Amino acid sequence: MSDTPENTSAVESSINQVAPPKALGFEFRGNGTEYFKIWIVNVLLTIVTFGIYSAWATVRNNRYFYSNLYLDNDNFRYLAEPLTILKGRIIALVAFIAYYAASIFAPTIAMILMVVLIIAIPYLINQSVAFTNRMSSYKNIQFRFKGSYGQAFMVIYVWPILGMLTLGILYPLAILKANEYFVRNSSYGTSKFDFNATYKDYGMIFLVSLGIALAVGLPMALLTYLVPALAVVSPVVFGLVYFGLIVYVLVSFTNLFYASLSLVEHKFEATLTVTGQAKVILINLLLTLVTFGLYLPAAKVRMAKYICSCMTMHANGSLDNFSAAEKENISALGEEFGQVFDFA
Amino acid sequence: MIFIEGTYLDGKTSKRHPARLEVNTNHKISHIHLLESQQSLSFEQQHYVIESRLGNTPREISFDDNQLFTCENHDEIDRINTWHPDKQATNSSWLHNIEGNVKLICLSTITTALLLYGIIVYGIPSTAKLMAHHAPHFSSQQLVSSLDILDKTVFDPSELSPERQQEILALAAPYLAEHADIAPQLKFRSGMKANALALPSGIIVFTDDFVNLTQSNDELVAVLFHELGHLTHKHMTQRMIQDAMLTIFIIFITGDVETFDLVTGLPTLLLDLAYSREFEIEADSYAFSLLKKHSIPLTSFADAMTNLENYYRDDSEDNHSDSAVEVKSKSHKSLSDFFSTHPNTQERINRAKQLSEE
Repeated sequence: MSDTPENTSAVESSINQVAPPKALGFEFRGNGTEYFKIWIVNVLLTIVTFGIYSAWATVRNNRYFYSNLYLDNDNFRYLAEPLTILKGRIIALVAFIAYYAASIFAPTIAMILMVVLIIAIPYLINQSVAFTNRMSSYKNIQFRFKGSYGQAFMVIYVWPILGMLTLGILYPLAILKANEYFVRNSSYGTSKFDFNATYKDYGMIFLVSLGIALAVGLPMALLTYLVPALAVVSPVVFGLVYFGLIVYVLVSFTNLFYASLSLVEHKFEATLTVTGQAKVILINLLLTLVTFGLYLPAAKVRMAKYICSCMTMHANGSLDNFSAAEKENISALGEEFGQVFDFA
Repeated sequence: MIFIEGTYLDGKTSKRHPARLEVNTNHKISHIHLLESQQSLSFEQQHYVIESRLGNTPREISFDDNQLFTCENHDEIDRINTWHPDKQATNSSWLHNIEGNVKLICLSTITTALLLYGIIVYGIPSTAKLMAHHAPHFSSQQLVSSLDILDKTVFDPSELSPERQQEILALAAPYLAEHADIAPQLKFRSGMKANALALPSGIIVFTDDFVNLTQSNDELVAVLFHELGHLTHKHMTQRMIQDAMLTIFIIFITGDVETFDLVTGLPTLLLDLAYSREFEIEADSYAFSLLKKHSIPLTSFADAMTNLENYYRDDSEDNHSDSAVEVKSKSHKSLSDFFSTHPNTQERINRAKQLSEE
């Protein structure tokens, strides 16, 4: 979508202190049909190799999505090696089966495993994010993440629990703290990301959704109480409002996230809309169900295209001066553990 | 000599250098010429990896120290790839060839659909069955006492008179004794609507509403046989294994957990329901054979089913006068509770009647 010329000449970069920020669009150049072909071959090979190929499939899928994601006419890259992912996946699968078997046949052992897992989760999440960041690059510079166990423990357990204990009053703060933790410890090469949002920003999203829920829910419940015939319609209305609220929260969180994100002097912006996002979700859901799942790859492409079309980077000066960070090795175990146990 | 136009990145900064890749007459990458600074970098001694072709994404050649050359010239890169000294690196071009072949893609789609169907409909259930029957038998103490959990959450103590409880227990005793290998026990609880359930530890629960609903002892026995069928076939264990296998399978196929939650959640739920209908039919058949063996009329099973169906139907109709929220939760619950996990009641009644006429 962006038609930014590639003329980041010496003249321009020397005056970038005074020049207004340049809006660089994100763009997803993938294509549903093309991705379908890659996806179906992946699925078939995964089945006939009893799942072993899934590591290669993941890499090919991720490469497709990263390589087609363009910012300022440059694409992102996904760098992970299939064998690294396979190793992590085998370990995670063994752990999952062990846990499942234990929960059926030896609950005490399962309880101990659960406690070990709960203690390990902050560490595993740190590893997982570090791996994902390190395996992502843009303009041949890798992203990084350097978290600490203590802080991860706070944002994963302490803040959400405080949010619940205060009946949700502190919950917006828990989300804010988590975003701050993950963003502020991430970097692009040696340049750190920053995150600046307030409790009020997140609180407003919750208040507005609560307001909408009450404004529609209460009159509807009252009406149905007075006119029982409406009982047929009310579940539909409630369903629609519920869906609308989920999309509203999703869209608001995404927009707020990018509005609060910055990389040195560069800023970001996302302008997702409830109608736009709802349309994409409904079309995707409908076509996926009608085609018994065959539309799934094209659905992912449609979603990526929509989100990218709404995203902008406001660059203050040239993007050519970022430098790479030191080399480091992180296993894929954290990431795979996260995927299997569904907590990442 | 071949020259390919592209972009060079040195791996240290994010600066893009318009560049020209030079492949010498020995089919080796020899130089990268930077067009803006007029520099030439020698690559004769370096290892390089040509990333496999993937859709229309840019082609990448990576060198030592994170140096990278990218370009859009797929044909030339494919040509260099065939000259790569390390033959293994050229392997993945066959993937791109499959992905570009419409016939092979159609064939893959059909094969995949058939394989998925076979695995989900036959593979997973039969493997789970095999595993459930070969899992060592654990006595009730060793298993998580699901009755304890249910007692704390849903169930209340039974309000049936002790005499009535004793009467039913005495009625069931000989049949339970017949199944000593699975150590079945019969318990009474209230707090749930008319229902009978079999827990993996061998405990069969009749709810008060259910006992009151039945009009004869034969009906109670018929339902008891059905629950014994679940226990004998180890349906609960089988279902747990099946759910785990299905979850892992779908995660492997779709490659990530997010998709699993969003789009495949519904089909997974439907599959689970389909699986549990199979179990009900199996338990029904078991009940029919026991009824025959003990010369109890099969119609008693049909009667029990008819009573249950009428009970749930009246129940959901009654609720329409309640407030909106109540209607939603109650009718939703009673309908899904009963109809979703069980096959069409009329079908079951017909099967029982048919068998009894034979």
